[in-house]
Formats: sequence, structure tokens, C-alpha cells
Amino acid sequence: MSTTTSATPPGTPEVTESAAPVFSVDGLWKVFGPKAARIPADPELAALSPAELRSRTGCTAAVADVSFDVRKGEVFVVMGLSGSGKSTLVRCLTRLIEPTAGSIAIDGEDVRAMDKSRLRELRRHRAAMVFQHFGLLPHRTVLDNVAYGLEVQGMGRAERRERAAAIVAKVGLEGLEHRRPGQLSGGQRQRVGLARALAVDPEVLLFDEPFSALDPLIRRDMQEEVVRLHREEGRTMVFITHDLQEALKLGDRIALMRDGRVVQLGTPEEIVGSPADDYVREFVRDVPREQVLSVRTAMRPASSADEAGTGPALRPDATVSEAIEAVARAGSPARVMDDGRCLGVVDADALLSVVAGTTGTADAAAAEATTGSPAAAGAARAGDGGPPTRARPSVGEALAQRRKPTTPPPATSEEPA
Amino acid sequence: MATITATPRKAAPPGILTHPAVRKLLILAVAAAILVPLAVTQWGGTTWPAALTVDVSEPLGKASDWIIDNRDSHPLFLYFFGHVSNVVVIAVRAVYLALLAVGWAGVTAIGALIAWRVAGVKLATGTAVAFLACGLLGMWVPTMQTLALMVVAVLASVVVGALLGLAAGLSDRMDRVLRPVLDTMQVLPAFAYLLPVVLVFGIGVPAAVLATVVYAAPPMARLTALGLRGADKEVLEAVESLGTTARQRLLTARIPLARKELLLGVNQTIMMALSMAVIASVIGAGGLGDRVYQALASVDVGAALAAGIPIVLLAVVLDRVTGAAGERLGESGKSPLTWLYALAAAAAVAVAGRLAGFLDWPEAWEVDIAEPVNRAVDWMTAHLYSGVPVIGGTADWAAHFTSWVLNPLRDGLQWLPWWSVLLIVAALAWLIGTWRTALTAVLAMAAIGVLGVWNPSLDTLSQVLAAVAVTLVIGFATGIAAARSDRFERALRPVLDVFQTMPQFVYLIPVVALFGVGRAPAVAAAVVYALPAVVRITAQGLRQVDPAALESARSLGATSGQQLRQVQLPLARRSLLLAVNQGVVLVLAVVIIGGLVGGGALGYQVVFGLAQGDLATGLVAGAAIVCLGLMLDRVTQPTERRPRKGA
Repeated sequence: MSTTTSATPPGTPEVTESAAPVFSVDGLWKVFGPKAARIPADPELAALSPAELRSRTGCTAAVADVSFDVRKGEVFVVMGLSGSGKSTLVRCLTRLIEPTAGSIAIDGEDVRAMDKSRLRELRRHRAAMVFQHFGLLPHRTVLDNVAYGLEVQGMGRAERRERAAAIVAKVGLEGLEHRRPGQLSGGQRQRVGLARALAVDPEVLLFDEPFSALDPLIRRDMQEEVVRLHREEGRTMVFITHDLQEALKLGDRIALMRDGRVVQLGTPEEIVGSPADDYVREFVRDVPREQVLSVRTAMRPASSADEAGTGPALRPDATVSEAIEAVARAGSPARVMDDGRCLGVVDADALLSVVAGTTGTADAAAAEATTGSPAAAGAARAGDGGPPTRARPSVGEALAQRRKPTTPPPATSEEPA
Repeated sequence: MATITATPRKAAPPGILTHPAVRKLLILAVAAAILVPLAVTQWGGTTWPAALTVDVSEPLGKASDWIIDNRDSHPLFLYFFGHVSNVVVIAVRAVYLALLAVGWAGVTAIGALIAWRVAGVKLATGTAVAFLACGLLGMWVPTMQTLALMVVAVLASVVVGALLGLAAGLSDRMDRVLRPVLDTMQVLPAFAYLLPVVLVFGIGVPAAVLATVVYAAPPMARLTALGLRGADKEVLEAVESLGTTARQRLLTARIPLARKELLLGVNQTIMMALSMAVIASVIGAGGLGDRVYQALASVDVGAALAAGIPIVLLAVVLDRVTGAAGERLGESGKSPLTWLYALAAAAAVAVAGRLAGFLDWPEAWEVDIAEPVNRAVDWMTAHLYSGVPVIGGTADWAAHFTSWVLNPLRDGLQWLPWWSVLLIVAALAWLIGTWRTALTAVLAMAAIGVLGVWNPSLDTLSQVLAAVAVTLVIGFATGIAAARSDRFERALRPVLDVFQTMPQFVYLIPVVALFGVGRAPAVAAAVVYALPAVVRITAQGLRQVDPAALESARSLGATSGQQLRQVQLPLARRSLLLAVNQGVVLVLAVVIIGGLVGGGALGYQVVFGLAQGDLATGLVAGAAIVCLGLMLDRVTQPTERRPRKGA
């Protein structure tokens, strides 16, 4: 199934920092309304707030000057409340919605310059999408729905059915091949949607709030499914969601959107540990910090050789909650070890202050600075396209770790009215 | 009628000048204050001023004469209409001969097998019984004539309608052009379509088929466009996201997604085609409709009934079978093999029937119901028409209704000065709709005056108003009862189902039996025809009221009367207005047809024009019918904006 990533077994770092991004978005605008094109072009108009823009021009900027790169093999989450422009953004990637300005490149190829047939080629083979309300064809069976993308490509009936059957099994729908979408539950339908996207073996999977319409328990199952698929195949994913828990659970990096703009772009830890502004801070306020932040946040240099030589050992990316458990068991400060080298120690006081939220951005920055990992403090801002230099474990591992502590997620808060 | 009393009451509370209804009326009053004195000094009198009429009958007569003279020589007729006409004649003839060649046994078997495959055993039995009943009544040949005409007309309507609908569904510009045309065609009485077709094709089968196509294609076009446009946006987006071409999207997603609407369109087209194929007997359609028409002309109720029953049976069977086809859509696909078996079996029956000589329905098996029915009618005439103690007789009722309701209403309308009629129309249309609908309504009404058929049109209008009033009173009462009692609704449903599928023409038969001829029976037929729709829409509207609103009213201790008056009726306002609109449109259609049973006025002028070959008179009356239909529809048409404001 998997193409490029199957060569690299899970567990080895397959993300090289220098690899060309899969999607490279730069200065992207989508403006709805009369004479939309003038708004990105005019710096004065472009700087207006949504309300001002609306009253002055009658236009709405659904996506405003957004730049980011999606790297190969990562799960890139775009998160924001309804109306923040995230769904428009993901549709712009394959030009289901025609962007107003800016550039989009897939593997270095300019998407906006593609002609019709090239664009079709992109949609058929390179980027497949999973939709919030599934978008299944009600008159076709599960199997034919999954095979639809292949049928569109012109594949023969027997071959496409065979491939579809394999995918159907992969997403756990064996035995339901000949049902129609109307006879399935919501979760099963979304599995069909997922299978349909997977069947064309795309380079990138685009998810547009795929689990928002599902019950919380089913949603969790589906999230596990995505985590599993990503671990197995390492496929690049762009994941749109309004659910912070989901974003933190799935995302390698998260772009937080508000009013069409990216207000912060960074790893879950960066978003939670050092919110870029009050909006983000408000957003992440209720997140259990100890489950997202790593021990680096609470780490201090070892005060003595004795301290550096004893106590339980932790990986640098272990979560604070894991550290709490270790410290509580041992009754002494724990060491953060990387390759047999002691990076620092965490004690009960430091861990408690993380949980209490008194460890501010400055502390986190200081902690990062001591470990020689400069990126996190700056919490890559909107428009930042550069690769973070945070040393990352393999994607699968990171996910596995992140997943564990966050289960069960609190009933998600959904979108405030 | 109901709306007149409803609107001023609403305007009473404080802030009287800011209420939209009052504002509209004020503007209208100012306009009237300026225009009316001008109009009165210029053209006084109560009826439409002669100075403002345009005599179109002479040019129309000339045009019709020219067409008749040139029908066999002018290239337009030779190379276009002539071919159309020939194709239609040949097609109908071919289907008719094929039906006869298959024989009654074969046709019954094929019909039953199709019904069985499409809709199940029960309807298959029903279909077979219906066909056999047609034979038993001695109506096999007319039934086949009607069926042949129907087959050709329905095929043409579906093709034309689907193509138009496809265009309107895919192109926004086409939709903007077609939608108002189709909407308007939907509200026009069937009779209005007859004359223009006759003008071009003359009386005969081609004219009948084409009138039927023109009448029956719009629902197909509307529903096709609706289905294509109503497709789930996200499904289409998903399909597009997979890199489909426009053609793939159309064939694999848009059309299949619209299949429910498409089948509903076919169902409606068939029902409309049957209705029109029967009415088109007036312009030479032949078949069952012609039998009814001839029988009604000589007030032979028995013969009319003998031809009317097959029409009803045909209507019910066609409606149920096509309807069931739509409902069964979601179920798992049937294998083509069983279809093959079914076809083979039907063919075998047909061949066997042919060999056994079961081609023509044997005369010995015919049951003559005309005689006994007529005897019964005679008995009724003798005993029930008049002089029944206390309650009076049916003819008495009709006479009373005519002299106490219809006459005063007609005289009242005709007594009103012409400008005040226009003013009333404008006020009503504006209060219920927008200034646009008001303008259309006034222009349509003025056009009637210009055409010089002011008085007959007001006569028709008076019948319509009387019938609508009766329909609404009975319809709302029944609808409310049906909404409040499940048992009553269950009992009512099959009755409404049957009544709603019957062609308009058939309703004339029982009313003639009961009330004789005249305006009252026409009104009675109109009431019976329009009632089911009004009852159904009312009951549905009341039942669809948000249960939470009703529950909260109940929790506050509202009595059921209070719930009805304060919650259900206001919230169902939109449905009630729709019921009024439908009632008016349906009543008009039958009141016009009532011209065949002595309804007089516009309907009679159309029939007279056809019968006497005086197409000019008929065409003017037809145009007036169109205008009247437009006016009545616009006056009662609630717009999108107002209900939202009220809610």
C-alpha cells in the first residue's frame, strides 16, 4: 500500500529536516465577496480586521495570508473554531475552492498554475480527502464507494474491486462490502470515506473535520484508527479539526487559526507550553498540561554529580505526568537521560509548578535553552515555514506516547456558539 | 376569502403606521387616490371601458383562417408541423395496433408482470383486475386508445422534460429563464393549452398528444432540475475531490443522486398526461375521454360512468405502480434475470392468447352498467332531485346555491367598478406577497379587460370564489380534524389517495348525476377536486408544527383549543397559505372544465370555440383563462420573505 514510507520501518527517524515539504503554502488568501482580488493586493485592506473589512468592502477573508509547510510523513493539524477558515484552507490545497492569492506547491510543483487535466491528476493520485459528512454515494455499495476513486481513474472493474476489498478489510469493514451507506452507522460510514481516500493510494490524506459528526466514543475509535494507519504507513496527513484534544492527540504540528489567519504554528507542546497570545492561551487553558508538556519544561541543571548519577531515568520527551509518577514512586528527583547523558533533573516542586501553570513561557524557554533546543521558545509563529529543530523521535513513537496519557480525553468542548 | 378577514385584524395593535401591511395599504390608497379619479373621469362605468379593449378576435380569426388555408401548402407546416404531426399519428397508431395485436390477455398479463416486478404481488393483482374491469365494462378498445396516446405522450414528455430539466439543473442562466415559465405553466388550467395547439394542428390525435406533452412535461422538467440542484453538496465535492471529469460527475453522481426526483417526475408526468389525455377528447383525442365527453353532452350518466371507471382504475394503477417504483429504489437491486423471466412469461401469455383467439374482448363478457345506472339516476331524479321533505332535494340545493350564492357574488363582482376590482386584487396580492406579485396580478386582471372578456371572466371568478370558500371551510375543518385524530387520518388517507389521483374530468360525472347541469354542479365538482389537496396540506402543516413548541404550550396549561389557535395555526401559517393557493389553482381548473356541464363563462367559450370552429373566441377565452389563473395564483402566493418575518 504505502509507497515511499514503507522503506523506512517505524521506529527510525524518517523525517529528515532537509526533505522538501509535501505542501508548501505561502501567503495564501481566499476572499469571498465582490472584487475579491483587490484585498490581498492592497496592504491597507489586507491589514483590516474581519469586521472592518466586511463593512468597508463587503468581502470576507476566509483565509488571510496563511503560510506553512507540510513535511513528508507528518500529521499537520489545522485547528480553529467554526468560521476560522480552516475548511476553506484545506479545500484551497487541491483547489476545490479557488484561492484568491498566494502560492501553493505540492512537491515543488505550483498547484495554482496547473491546468484542468493536471489538477485532475493531482486529485486522482496525489491528494485524497475525507469529509465531515462523509460524502458517500448513497446508491452504491460500500465496495463500489471505496472503488469509486479507482473507477474515476479508469481502472477495470475486477481490478478496482479487488483493491477496494483489500482496503475495506484494512479499515475494518469486512462483511459490510455489499451494504449501502444508508445501512451503516456514522462511524462505519466514515470508515468508508477513509477507505475511499486510501484506495487511490494518495501521497497526502486531507481530513476535513472527519470525526466532528460522530459520537465521542466512536470518535475516539476513529482517532485511534488514524493513529494506527499513520503508524503503519507513515502517510502525510493534513487534518482539520475544531477539537483541541483531537489536535493535540494527532498532530505532529498544529496551526491554530482565527479569523482566517494562523495565530500560532508549532508542536502541541509549544502551543500548550508557550501560547503565542491571549487567544491561544485562553484556548489551551483547560488542557491538562502535564499530559502534553515534556519533562524539558520542568527540568533544571543537575546541581551536583550525585544528583546527575542517581534517581529514576526519563527520556527527554517523556511527559510531565510520567515524570510525576516516576518521582512519586522513587521519592527523589528524576534524571532526564538522553543517550546515557544526563541533561538535567526534575524534582517534585518543578513538576508541580508545571501542573499549576506557574511555569511561564520564560521558564520553558530557559529550560529549552539549557538543553540546546532553541526552537520551542519562539513557538514558530504564523507564516513560519522553517523546520523546527526539535529533535523528534519517530512519528509513530511520538504518537504512541502522546496518545497514552491523553486517554480518555475529557468530553470535548466542541465549538462555542 | 379567508385572507380578507385575517389581515385587518393583524393591523390593529399600536405602532399601527409601522406595520408593514398598513404601510402597504397606505401606499396603495395614495396611489389609488391619484389614479382612480383620473380613470373615472376618463372611463366611467362599472364594466371594463370599451375604449380600453382591443378587439383581438378579428386578427385572431384571420390568423386562424390563414393557418387553415395554408396548412397543406406553407413550408412551415409542410416541413415542420407536418412531420411532427405525422410522426405522432404513426407512433400512436403503432402503439395502438401493437396493444390490439397483443390482445387483452397479453396486455393484462404484461401489465400485471411489470407491476409485480416493480411493485409487488398486491399491485400486480390490482393491475390485472383493473384491466379486466376495463374489458368487463365494454371499454377495452377505448382504454387501449387512451393507453396508446398516453404511452406516446408520456415518452415524449419525459424526454422533453428531462432534457429541459437537465439544462436547468446544470446551467444557472437556463434555470432563471425556465423556472418562472414552468412555475406558471404549473398553475394554468388544462383547458388553456387546448386552443393554441388546435390552431396549429387542427382537431385530431396530433393536437391531443402535443397538448398532453405541453401539459405533462413541466413537472418532469421541474423535478429533474430540482433533483440535480438539490444533490448533497458534500457528496459532489467529495466526487470532485477524487478528480472526476464533469461528465463523470454527471453520470456517476448527479443523475443517480437525483433518481428519487426523476422517478417522482415520471410519476407526476404520467398522472398529468392521463388527466390531459382525457380532457383532450375535446380536441379529438378519442378513447375513454371521448366516451365521457359524448355521454356528458347528452347527459347520459350511465355511459359516462362506464367510461369513467376505467379512467379511475387506470389512474390509480399507474400512480401506485410508478409510486412504488420510487419507494423501492433504495432496496437491493433486482437481477436482470428475473426481468427476463417475467418478460418471457408475458410473451408466452400473449402468444397463447393470440392462438386461443383472445384478442378482442369477447362481447359475451361485457357487462352493461349504463342501463342500470341510468335507471338509478332516473330514480334519483324522480325522488331526490326536489321535494324531499325537510332537507329538500339535490336540485333544490343546486338552485338555492346558484340563486343565493353564485348569482349575488357574480352580480356583486360585475357591479363593482372595474378599477375597484383592480384595486382589490392589488391590495390582496401585495398583502400576501410582494409588490412584484401584486403588479403581475393587476396586469393579468387588466389584460382580461383589454381582451374584452371582463364580464364572463368575473362570472368565472365568482364561481371560483364560491368554490374556494366552500373548499377552504370544509378543507380546513377536515384537515384540522385529521391533524388531531390519528384514527380519522388513517381512515381518510386511502380516500384522499384515490381522489388525488383521479383526472379532473371524471369529477363531472357524479355531480351531473346529482345536480344536473349548470353552474352549481361545476362548483361542486371543483370543490370535490380541490378538497383532497387542501385537507392534506392543512393536516400536514399542522402536524409538522414543532413538537417542542406544542409541548411548551401544553406545559403552560393551554387547552387544546388554545394550542390550536395560539400555536398550531400560527406556526402552520405557511402551509395554510399554500393550501389556499393550491385550492384556488385546482378549483379554477375544474370550474373552467365545468363549461362542459353548463358552467358557462370562459370554459363554455372555449368549448364553444372548439365546437363551432370559431377559434378566435376560444383563443381569447383561453388567454383570459391564463390571465385569470396567473392573477389568482399571484394573489394567493405567499412569498419567501413574509412568512419568515412572521415567524
